[in-house]
Amino acid sequence: MANKIKKIGGGEQEMDLKPFMNLMVVLIPLLLISAEFARIAIIDINLPEGRGSQTKTAVKKPPKEEMDNKLLLTAIVTDSVVTLGAKGGFLPSLFYQEFHRYVARDDQAEFTVKYDPKEKTPPKHPVSGREMTIHERQDILLYACDETFSEIKKCLYTPFGEMVTDADGIVVTAVNVGDTVYALTNPRRLIVVENPAEFELKPLSIYDELKNRLMKVKERFKDADDAEDIIIAAENEVIYDKIVQIMDAARMADFPNISIAKLRS
Amino acid sequence: MEQRGRMPKRKRRESLMLTSMMDMFTIILVFLLKMYSAEGSVLTNADNLVLPNSISKKKPKEVSLQVAVTGDMILVDNQPVAPTEDARRIPNDEPNPIVAKLEEKLAGCYAQEQEMVKMGALNQIMGKVVVQMDKNIEFDVLFKVMNTCGSVGYNKMNFAVMEREGGL
Repeated sequence: MANKIKKIGGGEQEMDLKPFMNLMVVLIPLLLISAEFARIAIIDINLPEGRGSQTKTAVKKPPKEEMDNKLLLTAIVTDSVVTLGAKGGFLPSLFYQEFHRYVARDDQAEFTVKYDPKEKTPPKHPVSGREMTIHERQDILLYACDETFSEIKKCLYTPFGEMVTDADGIVVTAVNVGDTVYALTNPRRLIVVENPAEFELKPLSIYDELKNRLMKVKERFKDADDAEDIIIAAENEVIYDKIVQIMDAARMADFPNISIAKLRS
Repeated sequence: MEQRGRMPKRKRRESLMLTSMMDMFTIILVFLLKMYSAEGSVLTNADNLVLPNSISKKKPKEVSLQVAVTGDMILVDNQPVAPTEDARRIPNDEPNPIVAKLEEKLAGCYAQEQEMVKMGALNQIMGKVVVQMDKNIEFDVLFKVMNTCGSVGYNKMNFAVMEREGGL
């Protein structure tokens, strides 16, 4: 029956795709030219209170009642330690070891080296032996370690690269089937472990642990007057890239009002 | 020999199969349309400057003063103003570190803004500055540049970063 109808119709009719192809050929180069593959964004920064306005009224101490409900959250960053301070006290410091990931411009070879602040010469390409330039450094990786800087701490990560913690926000290093753990998203995502092999034990990133601690601080002091504020105080030698990553951790933990301050030596 | 005896095949009109190419083009088109930004960018990236990656997705809304700091030069609106070494040379114990040449240039820009307010071209002095800083610059230089901007009157500061996937 179908064959009969075809015959009556006078053979298969094909859609004329030429105009559509012409349109594509024009549109795609046009969009390719105007597309932004690397987008520039901005981060808002506040100057620390009192800076630039050192008048008598600006430096006057606020009343005690006002100070009682203030969190005064500060992240102190040095070349080997990050410490969180709030309510006039300090949380245990996060010690870290620094690794630099390089990508060679000539052959795209990737390698990671442990950073030693005493070493003044830049690392060398593993094959050609030439000295790498600063612009070939792609990432600065900070891994949490013990106080003696001898052992890097590890943590389980989900297949999506999220740090895994328990209900109290403590780092998890092993899971069994049926365990309940949390992925470090904001808010934390509950996971019931079905396949422990999905989780990967990796070095604990200082940025993830910082975000974890900041989220705990936020949960506890969400009613504080300055519950969205954080001051990042850094040492002179700290690289700007680290500051931006710490700002990201703060913003992901719901501290969008970021101020910058200098750590006096 | 056998072939000669065969009936010659009727020539069939071969048409190009465009379906798979159309599929590919459609995918590329959708991807490019998603990437397309009708707004354009109000920020230009200075040469020899690698911005840090960040999760921030906030876009600069209006054109404002740009201060760029590379490993060897400080630029205002892409014009070299002072060597970065000038900022590094300021003693660390200086309570109010100011980069003199940068301050001079910024003061000029601020005066221009004031003039525009007087003429009615601007409602008020914006005092906004976007700081583009190379990701390998040390915090010391960043602080001195920020302090200089703040001392002139540019207190609303933004840091320019490269947008990374999975941001806020």
